[in-house]
Amino acid sequence: MSTPSSRPSTPAPAPARGMQARVDGWLLRMGTVGQLLAMLTRGGRWWMLPLVGVLMLAAVVLIALQSVQYVAPFIYLVF
Amino acid sequence: MSTWILGISALYHDAAAVLLCDGVVVAAAQEERFTRVKHDASLPVRAVSWCLHQASIERGDLDWLVFYEKPLRKFERIVATDVATFPRSWRSFPRHMHSWLGDKLWIRGRLVDTFGVPTERILFCEHHLSHAASAFLASPHRQAAVLVADGVGEWATTSLWRGSDQAPFLEPVAEVRWPHSLGLLYSAITAHLGFAVNEGEYKVMGMAAYGEPRMREQIDRIAHLEADGSFSLDMDYFCWHWHPTRSATPKLAALLGPQRLPGTPFAPRARPGDASAAVIAESQRHADLAASVQSWLEDAMLHLAGHAARTIGTDTLCLAGGVALNAVANHRLAAEGPFAHLWIQPAAGDAGGALGAALWAWHAVLGNPRNDLPFRVDLGPQQDRGHTVEILDDLGFRYEVLEEAATDRAVEDLVAGHVLGWVQGRAEWGPRALGHRSILADPRGADTAERVNRRIKLREPFRPFAPSVTAAGAAGFKLAPAAAAPARHMLVAAPVQAALAAQIPAVIHVDGSARVQVVDPDAHPAYHALLERFGQATGLPILLDTSFNLKGEPIVGSVVDALATFARSGLDVLYLDGIRVQRPPAYIDTQPKASS
Amino acid sequence: MGVVKQIWVALTGTLAWRIPRRARHLLWAFSRAELGSALDMLAAVEATERRDLRKKYFRHAMDEWRHSVIFREQAQSMGPTDAELAGRDEAGMLVENGIVGGRTLFERLGERDFLAFVYVAEGDAVEHFEVYHRLRLPNAGTLAAMDGILKDEVFHVTYSRAELDRMAQGGQGKEARRAILRTRWNRLKERWMRLSRDIGAVTSAVWLTALYLLVIWPFRLIARLDGGGWQVPPVEPRDRLLAARSEA
Repeated sequence: MSTPSSRPSTPAPAPARGMQARVDGWLLRMGTVGQLLAMLTRGGRWWMLPLVGVLMLAAVVLIALQSVQYVAPFIYLVF
Repeated sequence: MSTWILGISALYHDAAAVLLCDGVVVAAAQEERFTRVKHDASLPVRAVSWCLHQASIERGDLDWLVFYEKPLRKFERIVATDVATFPRSWRSFPRHMHSWLGDKLWIRGRLVDTFGVPTERILFCEHHLSHAASAFLASPHRQAAVLVADGVGEWATTSLWRGSDQAPFLEPVAEVRWPHSLGLLYSAITAHLGFAVNEGEYKVMGMAAYGEPRMREQIDRIAHLEADGSFSLDMDYFCWHWHPTRSATPKLAALLGPQRLPGTPFAPRARPGDASAAVIAESQRHADLAASVQSWLEDAMLHLAGHAARTIGTDTLCLAGGVALNAVANHRLAAEGPFAHLWIQPAAGDAGGALGAALWAWHAVLGNPRNDLPFRVDLGPQQDRGHTVEILDDLGFRYEVLEEAATDRAVEDLVAGHVLGWVQGRAEWGPRALGHRSILADPRGADTAERVNRRIKLREPFRPFAPSVTAAGAAGFKLAPAAAAPARHMLVAAPVQAALAAQIPAVIHVDGSARVQVVDPDAHPAYHALLERFGQATGLPILLDTSFNLKGEPIVGSVVDALATFARSGLDVLYLDGIRVQRPPAYIDTQPKASS
Repeated sequence: MGVVKQIWVALTGTLAWRIPRRARHLLWAFSRAELGSALDMLAAVEATERRDLRKKYFRHAMDEWRHSVIFREQAQSMGPTDAELAGRDEAGMLVENGIVGGRTLFERLGERDFLAFVYVAEGDAVEHFEVYHRLRLPNAGTLAAMDGILKDEVFHVTYSRAELDRMAQGGQGKEARRAILRTRWNRLKERWMRLSRDIGAVTSAVWLTALYLLVIWPFRLIARLDGGGWQVPPVEPRDRLLAARSEA
């Protein structure tokens, strides 16, 4: 049995996320989007709002595809 | 009940983690030291894991986690820039959006998932404020002008702050915004001179000493010092704001001459070797370009400092941001600038943002007063003796446990002309090796620098090595009084008296300067003792001190890293906290490769 | 190596090595892969509880470092890449070195599966090099360099196999075989994921470029970047804790 290194092993990541965790994740993201829109409005870059709206739709697609990476090549080939 | 604050920098350059307990730094480390990937920017999971282990706490004990920038402001800047530079940004936009929409925009969720801190306990500190805090709040000063200069944060590239003794402690005064950036200007010239960005800037600084600012007029055409104490750039010459990989347009090459290809021999007039006349002329042109941009940068820093002094009216300047690592510019600031005191964050780059964010949270957000504890740099991991011995036995290295006798033995080795690996105590915070993870050699030999370079560091031959010296031996280094504090962390390059320079050629640059560390005996007692003993033996308490790593690698972290570096280099002997380790065993190929 | 795999390696190798740009890319990829392996092995030296294996892992790490330098020098002899000309640091492009989510390969796999990984990965490398050797790819110089590397890789296969055999003799034969199968399956999965990511990168680039061209252009008329000189910084809200919680 070896002596412990001064360097600890890195803890394993949290177990796979259940539905509640996924919902929490999306809620956090929505919070972020809300802050982004509020910031743009406050800061006078209101013209970016529609553009950011379109980008957020693209983000939804990107994130959704990332979560189904095993079948993604088939989806990409279709779309 | 203690308050634990974890500061984090990540995702762009130099990820790091810093842990505070009631406002005191208990652990700080860059992720690269654990992953062994230089400038590793990924979330500092391993650095955080070590910080918690060092403090004997769990993730659940953390009270606050502070991220070193405001991601949404950064996203705003990126989108606004891609729009403003349409259609030239057509290559950048898809890359930016893929990276941000898929990952970086959702950093809060990643921090929650990765570190287990509840979302309401996660704070975000503006990037330049993180830098400013890392300088001012870590310094011993209660009033100061604070200048931050880097590539870019959210929008600011250079910012000026008023540091005071009352909350919020740092008040923004003025800023220069993207895309006008001192850091990116210097990086563009770095790339033009054939070096890697965020790594090669030191090389440009070293190259500059071989040249004269003959191209200063051209630099003045692309970069202007404004009457209001600021600066601006002619963006027609640069494209960092719309090209995904390049920094400069063809206009820059038309003005400054063709780009230097990576790996091209550098043989200026001061060190021609057996190069042809054409190579010497071209090398001299490169050196003059380096000297010209260096000269402009120094004048810009003085210009900004002058404005800071007029606007804020204190006698102290605190500096942070990557540009603050320019030791030559720092010397001019100290020697010619309007401030009596200079304090520079040793980890002035993005890693320091983790420290600044944590300090800002403790003082400015939570309303705690400043303390009087001096800032230490020995904040990283330390070797465990039992584990070290076990590793040495298992790997078959021969060694002697010398304890206190190691100092005298190391002096014998140094005087005999050996080059040592030196691992002592906790690892340094910041990019400079300050006697904790160092390669040491006797600076008196005429061929020492060439030997260290050829057998170990494999750096470009024109780059100088740096000295460490005790305060008693520092008289020959012409340090301005204002440089006293930064010199403790090797952040100032000062001229050296000719008589002394002649005795220590290995650490003197071609222009007669040296980036010296004046070793504080309280901060680095073992290293100071070594210098003193060396001084007793030779009359000069000065050593060549370069970082303990090979080309392209981070400074060594664990004992295994140190042994692996030892085995792959031409080091003669290794000291690990009082253990003297001999040359690696025969089963390991230890031939260093020729420099490229 | 199965016949199908041999043919595949021969075909793709012939295509890749014949194109100088592709050949240089391959050499850099090999260099990065070897460097990643070196870091994996070094982490294993630190983390293993098998003190008798430390020396083998350490020697393996030294070998991989040497291989990385050999491939890098071969690549550099073919001229600078676009990335080098743009000043991008090679070390900064080593994204994955077996460290995923902060955990090293050894931490993720444990000793047995790590040895299985070494055995399978090094075995694949040996087989690839043997195919290249038979086909005299890419050229005499690189082949000579690969010969030296091949000897080391054979040692890596031998010692890892010996450890797995020792486990089998110790009554863990089934587990050792399963570890090898698991490793082969995971490597296939990783290749699929890489393919998926590569396709995804191309597809998202296409769609985002289309978005850029169709949606961005009207906003160009309104968007402006700041000129140089001092600007007034944004005013910070009074409630510092509330402001600090915001990502904006």
